[in-house]
Amino acid sequence: MTDMTERQELQDRLSLIEQMMAEGRQTTSSWGWVFVLWGIAYYISIAWSALGHSAVAWPVTMIAASIITAVASSRSRSGQPGTTAGRAMSAIWIGVGVSMFILLLSAGIKGRMDAQTFIAVVAAMLGSANAASGILLKWRAQFLCALVWWATAVVSCFGSEAQSQIAGMTALFLCQIVFGVYMMVLEARERKGQAGKTSGAHA
Amino acid sequence: MPEELTTALPELNPVIHGKLRLALLSLLSSVEEAEFTWLRAKTGSTDGNLGAQLLKLEEAGYIAVEKKFVQRKPQSLYRITEVGRAALTEYVQALKQLLGGAIGA
Repeated sequence: MTDMTERQELQDRLSLIEQMMAEGRQTTSSWGWVFVLWGIAYYISIAWSALGHSAVAWPVTMIAASIITAVASSRSRSGQPGTTAGRAMSAIWIGVGVSMFILLLSAGIKGRMDAQTFIAVVAAMLGSANAASGILLKWRAQFLCALVWWATAVVSCFGSEAQSQIAGMTALFLCQIVFGVYMMVLEARERKGQAGKTSGAHA
Repeated sequence: MPEELTTALPELNPVIHGKLRLALLSLLSSVEEAEFTWLRAKTGSTDGNLGAQLLKLEEAGYIAVEKKFVQRKPQSLYRITEVGRAALTEYVQALKQLLGGAIGA
């Protein structure tokens, strides 16, 4: 009986180690809202451009979205520990975001990019970031987003301008708005679940 | 914390074996560094108990603490040391051996 109790104690210790390590590794910051924010920012840019102000619409909206993302994420991360996976994720998205901004702004100013090439480049780059992120997190839903973006890039290259725009708007809705809301729901569930099991490590 | 278990199983490191200390070391092994408040939220511990257990781990050389002020507020950042990581690895190996022995008995 004592052996059984001791064995159970040891098993509990092992489970505690695994649970705590898993909790530490989890990205504790919420990122679903960032996807939704950028989805809305793209839609605003597209709508603003359609009114004939594309030279101003894209840079202004992108810079505003970048500032909101930087300020809000630094606030939400305060007090959260840094993890290697978290740094890898930040590296992917910051790298892709800066590349897109520099390339698209420069090409836009010089008028070296038509609408279809623009959509293809944005879709391919977002596909890369989502694929890297999905592989890193072993998250099929995000890898599915990468496939949608890559398909959009192909449609933009081979299809008509109208088909390219429809594909771009659809990918934006599915991979930014729907995926972002899905992430927010998962994050809310996770927070709820974690709140209920904090008492496990009491001495 | 069942201290009698520690005496019954001397192979296990008694500094790590305490439930809260084990939880803290495991948490710190999976992050680069963590604030006191984050550790408190993750373990659900009280300030006093958490501070005491962190001090024991610090005295054993298993964790290092950096105290600083951020926007005039004191902040304590804890990280696991190489000695602490090695001790945790040894502890896990010992646990698995003991459990393996128990299964075989």
